[in-house]
Formats: sequence, structure tokens, C-alpha cells
Amino acid sequence: MNRIRHIPSMSRSTSVIGRDRGLQARMLLTMFLLGLLYVVFMGVLFAAGAGFGLIVAFAAGLLLVQYFAADKLALASVGAKEVTPQEAPELHGMIDRLCVQADLPKPRVAMMQSEMPNAFALGRSPKHATVCATTAIVDLLTPAELEGVMAHELSHVANRDVAIMTLASFFASLASMIVQFSFFFGGGSSGGDSDDDGPGIFAVIVVSMMVYAISFFLMQALSRYREYAADRGAAILTGRPSALASALMKLGGEMQHIPKQDMRSAEMNAFYIFPVGTKDSFMSLFSTHPPMDKRIAALARMESELQGTAGRAVPVTV
Amino acid sequence: MGLFDAIIGRRKIAGPAPDRLFAITTAYITLETEHQISTRGVAAIVFQPLATGDFERIAADMEDVLRGTGADSGSTIETSEDSFGYRWMIVRDPDVEDLAVGINAVSDQLAIDGYADRLLCAVFAFQDAAGAPIYFIYNYKRGTWYPFSPAGDAAAQERATERELRLRAVIGADLPIEPELDRWFPLWGIPI
Repeated sequence: MNRIRHIPSMSRSTSVIGRDRGLQARMLLTMFLLGLLYVVFMGVLFAAGAGFGLIVAFAAGLLLVQYFAADKLALASVGAKEVTPQEAPELHGMIDRLCVQADLPKPRVAMMQSEMPNAFALGRSPKHATVCATTAIVDLLTPAELEGVMAHELSHVANRDVAIMTLASFFASLASMIVQFSFFFGGGSSGGDSDDDGPGIFAVIVVSMMVYAISFFLMQALSRYREYAADRGAAILTGRPSALASALMKLGGEMQHIPKQDMRSAEMNAFYIFPVGTKDSFMSLFSTHPPMDKRIAALARMESELQGTAGRAVPVTV
Repeated sequence: MGLFDAIIGRRKIAGPAPDRLFAITTAYITLETEHQISTRGVAAIVFQPLATGDFERIAADMEDVLRGTGADSGSTIETSEDSFGYRWMIVRDPDVEDLAVGINAVSDQLAIDGYADRLLCAVFAFQDAAGAPIYFIYNYKRGTWYPFSPAGDAAAQERATERELRLRAVIGADLPIEPELDRWFPLWGIPI
């Protein structure tokens, strides 16, 4: 027993599971790099001239639509429907308790008829959030495991991951839009007639491509960090890291037997508990979720922290 | 939880808000004398047990302490677990003040041992003149109370919303009532 007991006045800010400063530092660094990239990109666009102002305004309009309507569109497009407490009493009861623990307002609860065991969270803020579980995941997992998964989704809600990733993707979609527009309209007008001082259209296209490529990798990294953070949040919320680890193992095993369905046909900013169809991702750089074994190893470290054996636990090396 | 914490994904569970548990002891006088709402002589504190040796030891100690103080006041104690894995420590005593003292002893002990963030709520059971069940639920995270009154049979999971809103109106001056109605979380299958 090496956990230090605290007097009540101090115990308010302590938690049994500590925080992961390394994770927070990596997350901040990634966000800083993304921001830096975007500032440079905006600079290039402004230097290139007013023609791009229109594209920026258009992209901003799309972003607003996505920000305010994406959750409803996404829910409708995957065929999920909201369930009342009468229709899903256990799920609602579980989420009620987690919301009290997390001091969150109650999100809308939705269920989706699907053979694929999965769960996701949508919505730009805790007040506009929806958490959704598929029928398969409710059948597959034990209540404690399901609680871990729902706590993971609620952590996404509390961390405002949908809003953050939507904002982070704004400039990436702007860059890709510029490249596409340029292929349609820019090609014909090229010539030696450029008498302005700024960079020409060609330079903007090259910069846009580069911005898109770099921001893609940064965003995937950011997304992976947010998954770790949500796992940690779930462990803190439920006090049962091993239950979530066990759920992840079950889902990992299950995913390999189930045919891939095109659940992402609709472009949506959803936070799945488990990525769809990235089982054999050959390069982790391309994936939005960290590899399963690393997530389970991180949860195992939290469990030893919880059990007060962090110092003398067998190091988990996966 | 500030916005910065949300942005960098730092989670910690809120500890308890300033304690307003004892507001029930004065509110009860109003309820009983003016609104014919009487105690059913039972209250419970609900928390999330951790599956660690340390926590189990503390929980056992806590029950002993409670039995010790209960022997003086005549309260009895029992423990049960619900289907969601939360533990209910149930205190029975005809006096609401003694109930609040018992509940407070448990939450204090958890706070001393550094587990205050595991507290979910406290529940006090009452009934109106016609015998309809009324619960007042104390949310430790927010330091607020709200009424919960199930209607009909338990399986239907219907709330007597009108009665709850009326209760808020009559007791709002004495009891700090949760202002956000969407945080009046129901607890189905309350074992008291």
C-alpha cells in the first residue's frame, strides 16, 4: 500500500488514477504544429490574392454546417434512432449514473441495429451530445464492460473531441478544396501574364497539397492521443480500467470475424470505441485509433496504479 | 473542469460540492408540518466501490463505524449492491436528523480516505398522505437536491412529474434544488 492518504481538504483535487503528463504534452505539441501549419497556410493564401477569399468563405460556410448539423445528419445516415428510457432502461440507467459521476448533462441516447459491435459519440458540446451503441455491442459485452465503453464515449463528449477534430479538419478540407477547384478552373488561365507580386496559382496548389498531407498525419496523431485520453477518462470515471480493457479485447476479437460494412460511407465526425475496418492497418501513422495492444497496455498500467502497485508491478511490455 | 482541461483531454472526476446534505433536516420540518409528507425512516448513500483491497478495507471499517454510532442512536445499517455495480449503504432510523448524521458519517469517512470522488448520491425516502413514494436525492457533485417520485408499478418506469414539480415549488425555499431539470436523474429500483 503505497498510495498516500489525503486529508479531506486536499482530497478534492486528487484522483486515484493520476494524469498522464506525457500524453498531454504530445497532444499540445500536435495541436501547436497544426495551428502553426494553418497560420502559414493562411499567410500564403492572403499573399496569393483575393480570389481565394471566396474559397475560404465557402469552406467556412461548410464548416459551420458541419459543426451545427453533422450530428443529426450522421445519426440519420447510419440509421440510428434515439431510444427512450422505457425502451432501453439498462443503458439509460448506466448513462444516468455516469453523467452524475462525470457531472455532465445527460446526452441523447441512441441505438443502432447492427451486427457490428461498436459505439460512438456525436455532437459539438456536452449540451448537444448523442451517444450511440449498436445492438450487437449491448448483447456482446457484460454490463461492466459496456459501462467502460459508454464512459469512454462520455469522455469524448466531455473533452469536446467532435468540436476539436472538426475545427482541426477545417484547414485540411480547405486545402483539398483549393486543389480540386484549381484542377477545374485554374488549369486554363496559366501563362506568363502574372504581374502581381504574390505567389502564383501553381505555388498555392503545391502549398495546399503539402498542407493537406502534413495536416492529415498530424490530425491522425491528434485523434490517437484523444483516444488514449478518452480511455483514461473512462478508467477514472468507472474506477475499472480492466473492464474497459476486457471490452476492447472482446471487440478486437469480434471485429476479425465480422465482415466489413461500409459504416463510414457518410462522412461523419464520430468517435467510435473501435475503428471500423482498420484491423490490419499496415502503418499506424494512417490510423485514427491507437493499436489495440497499446490501449490495453495503457489500461493495465492504470489498473496497477489503482491497486497501489504501480511501483512494483511487472512492467507491461506489449 | 475548465475548457483548457477539455481541450487537452485531462479528465478528473469532480469532488463533492460544498456540503448541503443537512438542509434536509430543516426542510423536513416544513414537509411534515405543512405538506403532510412523512419520512419512511430510511435513507441510503450510494457510491461506486473500487475493486481494490484498500477500498474494501475502508468500506468494511466504514460499516463498523456506522454500526457503532448507530448503536447509540438506534439506527440499523445494511449494505446491498445494485445491478449497475453501485453499493448502497442503507440506514434505518425514524428520525431524519439521525439519518443525515449516519449518511454524513459515511461520506466523511470516504473523503478522509481520499475517495470522495466515488460518491454518487444520497437518497432519503418519504411518502405523502396517500402513501405515494417520494425520494429526495442529494447529488454530491453539485451539492443540490431534487425530488424523485416513481408512479405506477416499477417496471413501467414512469415518473410523477407533476408531483415532483409541485415538490420543488413547496420546498425550494428550504432545500437547494437542482436548477437544471435535465439533471434530475431517476434511480429505478431503489432498494429503500
